[in-house]
Amino acid sequence: MIVDLEPTDDQRLIAESVGGMLAASLPVARLREASGNGAQPENALWSSLAELGLFGMGLPEEKGGFGYGLPEEMLAARELGLVLASPSVLAQMAAAHLADDGLRPAIMSGEARCAFASLGFDGTVWLYDGDAASHVVLLGDGAALLPRDAFGNWTAQVPMDETITLANAIAAGDLPARDNVAERISLLIAAATTGIAQAATAMAVDFAGQREQFGQPIGSFQAIKHSCADMAVRAAAADAQVRYCAITFGRTEDDRREIAAARWLATDAAIENAKANIQVHGGMGFTAECDAHLFLKRAHLFSALGSSRREEERRIIADAD
Amino acid sequence: MKLIEDPSLDRFRDECRAWLNDNVPRNARPSEGLELRAYDMAWQRTQFEGGWAGVSWPKAFGGRGLSVLEQLIWHEEYARAGARTSASMFVALSHAGPTLIVQGSEDQKSRHLPAILKGEETWCQGFSEPGAGSDLAALKTRAVIDGDHLVVSGTKIWTSYAQGADYQELLVRTDPDLPRHRGISWVICDMTLPGIEVRPITTMTGYAHFAQIFYDEVRIPMTNLVGQLNGGWGVAMTTLGFERGTGTIAHQIELANTVERLITTAKETYDRATGKSLFADAAVASRLAVLRAEVAALRSLTVASVSRGMREEIPGAEGNIPALYFGELTRRVNGAVIDLLGPGAMARGGSHNLPKAYLESFKWAIGGGTSEIRRNTIGERVLGLPKGPRAI
Ligand SMILES: Cc1cc2nc3c(=O)[nH]c(=O)nc-3n(C[C@H](O)[C@H](O)[C@H](O)COP(=O)(O)OP(=O)(O)OC[C@H]3O[C@@H](n4cnc5c(N)ncnc54)[C@H](O)[C@@H]3O)c2cc1C
Repeated sequence: MIVDLEPTDDQRLIAESVGGMLAASLPVARLREASGNGAQPENALWSSLAELGLFGMGLPEEKGGFGYGLPEEMLAARELGLVLASPSVLAQMAAAHLADDGLRPAIMSGEARCAFASLGFDGTVWLYDGDAASHVVLLGDGAALLPRDAFGNWTAQVPMDETITLANAIAAGDLPARDNVAERISLLIAAATTGIAQAATAMAVDFAGQREQFGQPIGSFQAIKHSCADMAVRAAAADAQVRYCAITFGRTEDDRREIAAARWLATDAAIENAKANIQVHGGMGFTAECDAHLFLKRAHLFSALGSSRREEERRIIADAD
Repeated sequence: MKLIEDPSLDRFRDECRAWLNDNVPRNARPSEGLELRAYDMAWQRTQFEGGWAGVSWPKAFGGRGLSVLEQLIWHEEYARAGARTSASMFVALSHAGPTLIVQGSEDQKSRHLPAILKGEETWCQGFSEPGAGSDLAALKTRAVIDGDHLVVSGTKIWTSYAQGADYQELLVRTDPDLPRHRGISWVICDMTLPGIEVRPITTMTGYAHFAQIFYDEVRIPMTNLVGQLNGGWGVAMTTLGFERGTGTIAHQIELANTVERLITTAKETYDRATGKSLFADAAVASRLAVLRAEVAALRSLTVASVSRGMREEIPGAEGNIPALYFGELTRRVNGAVIDLLGPGAMARGGSHNLPKAYLESFKWAIGGGTSEIRRNTIGERVLGLPKGPRAI
């Protein structure tokens, strides 16, 4: 199998139009004041995101989609990661693949609203940014789309990432087994997570070129320069793997392990790059005022969406049992 | 981003596979010295006779002139067939030859290019010196003009496959008064000239992979100058775009195979204390999983770099990203082999000489640019960070 990983002109255009819209309306700086407000800016934008075609992007035309494929959808997901968009935007994209014919139009129009929830070890379900949601995309080994009220009462909790809202409930029933749709959703999460890793790298590089100590930009010191180079390498590795999976999905026997690898690499890149970005910023990096911590918290949140590095390791190696 | 479906490429793959299956040498390859050189030259000759010499070289210069995708397929099939990388032919095929194609005179080209393709001459690279490694422009080996000759005195070191090499791409200082990058020339050095002494150096693997070379008033004809006098830095830095990221595919596939073999071995190796396979140990499985993810990433990085190579004429500094990843990952993979397989992995011999592969793996983070230098380049030329202190 031969794959070309460079975006086509058409794909570049899609990434640019989604990215441009997001950068203009959801600058990362919005999150500085967001404490406790959850996804309000995203909520206000929901119908524009629907009009942009984001929520049905990867669906075939007979299902009302644009006839784009996973590569286009993956590029859009990466753009969401770059601006730290609420996980609910991605949940809405995921829901379009899980919904039945009856519900799908409402998902694509944004009328029904979705949010991600993860199944914890003890059966607790954790809901992210789900205040405005009518439906929940529940992620464990498999994935399911359920009405938000299927879980009874949600109890509000205080999240590590205070730019989203968090609530928990007790799981209702079993999740379906992992299938192709769950794999596809996992790849989209990996793409968004890669976006987080790329954005953290860009922020570190930008600061390292400007901040001066000892009469020179700190980026001229190798400890900092090499840390930035390693960030770029981790992000590039995750990005290449995610793009590779987006093209080969459904065409090999190795989807499961290739996607698990993508997810592992993306999580690793996002968390490690976010940590390195804090260190590059020095004292400023430890403050609430500096955006660096936002990347760390969001990276951890995305790593826990129905997954963890440990679980992905199990999937990567599973066929070797 | 798309799948490339082209039946002519499938046919091309079949053609490569069939030819390689019939022709890849099956006899054991010697580890060093003249026997190794003879083995590599014979295999090159076989490729020439089969029409597969210089796969990335333009047709006009006798090469096969494969497109980037065809090169990709060739290298994949090459690794799959178990063919060994070109080693003693490497400098000739991937560096000296392409440099002559771009910068050489007609006479230099007609003299060397066909001989390289036929496996009749091997080359080595005389760039590094005891005082000039990462900082190559500090090189001191002196060449003084005497009539129509250059008279060379000095020393080169870490010269791979110098033993028995017929020619050397040699960087010499022709004007010590010019700024350091501008007083250097690139010359073709005939290794049989009087005044040249090659002293093999044994590496940590136990084999004489490279050598130190001493030059005592070696007289090289001026006609062997490639490019302009004092223009050697530019010649050495000529970005040789023929391979477009395909050159490392065989190594990458070999590394993936090493990880798969390690997984199989971990499943078949039982720990007497627990009665379970090594693989049943969660810590071992976790480590193997990470390595598998990382070799997948290396494959994807390579594919990404080949995809870029299809579009850009001159490879950019981004090529350091897969190269750095490869060097570091090669060390981790081979380190895990020794680490996980216990006392048995420390014996040499067997079909896969594990200690040799492990010890050998250190070179990938040093030769051809150290990991630190690659990080500098990624920082400065890919990310645009300010330069660090430099000698002038
Ligand atoms: C197996 C092998 C084969 C080789 N084959 C050849 C060959 O055929 N022909 C040839 O000419 N050369 C060859 N070399 C030499 C190789 O190119 C050099 O070893 C390499 O460029 C490093 O130079 P050095 O050994 O002088 O180390 P140094 O440059 O002295 O480096 C020592 C350490 O300092 C670090 N360092 C140096 N400068 C910097 C900096 N600016 N920033 C941060 N860290 C720095 C290095 O990364 C390294 O860790 C080979 C080397 C090996 C290992």
